Amino acid sequence: MLDILIRNGRIVDGTGLPAFHGDIGIQGGRLARVGGQLTGPARHEIDACGQVVAPGFIDPHTHFDAQLMWDAQARPALEHGVTTVVNGNCSLSLAPLRAEHRPKLVSMFQQIEEMPDAAFDGAFAWEWESFADYVAALRGRVALNVAPLAGHSPLRMWVMGGAEAQKRAATPDEIRAMQDLLRDCLEAGAVGLSTSYVDMDENLFPVPSRFAHFEEIDALAAVLGEYGRMLQVVPEFYNTDITLARVDQLAELSLRHGIPTTFSPLFDSAVMPENVSRVLDRVGEQFQRGARVWPQVQTRPIDISFNLEVASLFFIALPAWYLTLRMPRDRKLAALGDPGTRQGLIDAAEPGGDTQRFAHLRVRDSRDASLIGRNLGEIAKERSTTPAAALIDLSLDEDLGVHFLSANMGHEDPSRIGPLIANDLVHVGASDAGAHIQSFATYGDTGYLFSEFVRKGHHLSLEHAVRKITGETAQIWGIPDRGLLRSGMAADVVVFDPETIARGDERPAHDMPENGMRYVREARGVDTVIVNGELTWSAKGGYTDARPGVVANA
Amino acid sequence: MPGPVIDDARVAPGHDGEAVLVVQVRHENGGVDSVTLDADCARRLLENCDAQVASDLRGKPWQHLLDVLPR
Amino acid sequence: MSELTEQRRFVTPEPDEDWPALAERALPGEPSAEAIEKLRGWNLHLFVRNPPGVLLGSDVIFVEAPRVVTGRYEGLGS
Repeated sequence: MLDILIRNGRIVDGTGLPAFHGDIGIQGGRLARVGGQLTGPARHEIDACGQVVAPGFIDPHTHFDAQLMWDAQARPALEHGVTTVVNGNCSLSLAPLRAEHRPKLVSMFQQIEEMPDAAFDGAFAWEWESFADYVAALRGRVALNVAPLAGHSPLRMWVMGGAEAQKRAATPDEIRAMQDLLRDCLEAGAVGLSTSYVDMDENLFPVPSRFAHFEEIDALAAVLGEYGRMLQVVPEFYNTDITLARVDQLAELSLRHGIPTTFSPLFDSAVMPENVSRVLDRVGEQFQRGARVWPQVQTRPIDISFNLEVASLFFIALPAWYLTLRMPRDRKLAALGDPGTRQGLIDAAEPGGDTQRFAHLRVRDSRDASLIGRNLGEIAKERSTTPAAALIDLSLDEDLGVHFLSANMGHEDPSRIGPLIANDLVHVGASDAGAHIQSFATYGDTGYLFSEFVRKGHHLSLEHAVRKITGETAQIWGIPDRGLLRSGMAADVVVFDPETIARGDERPAHDMPENGMRYVREARGVDTVIVNGELTWSAKGGYTDARPGVVANA
Repeated sequence: MPGPVIDDARVAPGHDGEAVLVVQVRHENGGVDSVTLDADCARRLLENCDAQVASDLRGKPWQHLLDVLPR
Repeated sequence: MSELTEQRRFVTPEPDEDWPALAERALPGEPSAEAIEKLRGWNLHLFVRNPPGVLLGSDVIFVEAPRVVTGRYEGLGS
């Protein structure tokens, strides 16, 4: 008897080949049959008429490290159809890590990924030091699959000590010790190594990985070569020449050691319109040489968020505003409340009564829940005022605590992003899911891929889009047994409506440990999510108690 | 003062959702470089250059960028 | 193996290398103060991050000015 039978689906198998209609049978955690008309019987049947049946989505750039320890489902990623996550990105992982280095690592996570104290402090029992013990701690605990990277920063701290790791080059003996430690991680199931060239710790001092000379990275890449595993890096932002240099470094390592490499993120911006095309030209040249240097590109646009507590550069083109917001707090509050100054600010932002500049700004967080998600244009109309006046008044009402969002400030032009993510040299990823949780929602990029670039822009076919986040991702990362709907493979399956799949609106949620706040987006159009043959989420029933996730390479 | 000069400065979204200032510097050979400043560094650059807004930075010498962070 | 187009030249720091040593290696024969000044102008990215002007092992250090980029934007697709 089958465990699950999915009937009448439109099967998009992750290869990019045309969809076809048929049934899918699941037994013992594996795909027993893909296609045809199955007679059953089955313990559980799903009618997928009118829906797509696809491999579970794989997110190659997340920071769910801590969250997975108290939220087995990495909510809300799972309900978006994500069945495998790569964590440990950007040089930061929860293992290998000596107990005495935990406070330091937690501080770095808090600084870089904006994780609150409560996400670590008492939220889970931290009982491992080695990577093998970390993998063991994940086993039986998680609802989705985990493909963990070993972080270069904790690797350095383990071998050199916390202080020395942020001070100097490693000695040859220390490099050999790091190689041995990395080998242990890869043996235990690490999918590769992550490093960072940009991140800062809690003291705004470079993280340990940035003190590594090229010889150290080269030696660690040699160990990755023994296993054919991935090197992930974070390059500098908004400087094309540096990104090109990083591409060349990665290509050299890729060719020398036979490894795949990836850098994330690569994004498009009106500030540097040539950036992406120049980088892709170089990536193309390096692929021609046989190197593998995968630029990760996110699907979602980038927003700017701010409140009037600080002088955001968002206002730098408006001297009256920028100078007022730079005042000491007491003077600023007085100035914003002064009728003459207030009117001067409004006139500067809305010359000649043109109210467009701030009308699109959305309230992203406020004590008044009825305001959240609405734009200043609407709110101003309701209050018979202007958007600039509403911006000031709402801020004063809550002692400058109201947060606003200017959406689509970068990586926002679908006519440029669509062809970019369809490009064969581009790896769709860089979601950063689970990070920056108090600044913006990092969930739902997969839904956005379908709503914006398949349905609306027609930049990718349905099959191409599915391949980009399933079969192609598994292939790039060397994640075995996943990413395709093929008999005998692990049964990670998502059922969704191709006409409605999307990301929900961004909203604040208080679902972190100790009721901490984060921004989330719920899934739209996803019907069922199956991991290793077990139902983990459905639109009708929500999350289940199943914990079928595994460490993908262990 | 010979050497590279600030050519442009524009606001862009940073990786963390904060606004950053991307400053473009034109070198004598015509090549263009860029650096990214957070709000504090941008404020110091404006002060160093006696500028009120980003457009006032145009034409200022590159050395002003060496002191946007306290040493 | 395919040829690569020329890009802006860069080096990475040697362990314990400071600006004078780097200048000597990158721009041999030039007076040290002038060479350092050139390198600083070509590597402003090292001065707008903490700690400003300190060489880190993983840094990219350009040894020439940015090249003039010719051609125009022709789209992002393949």
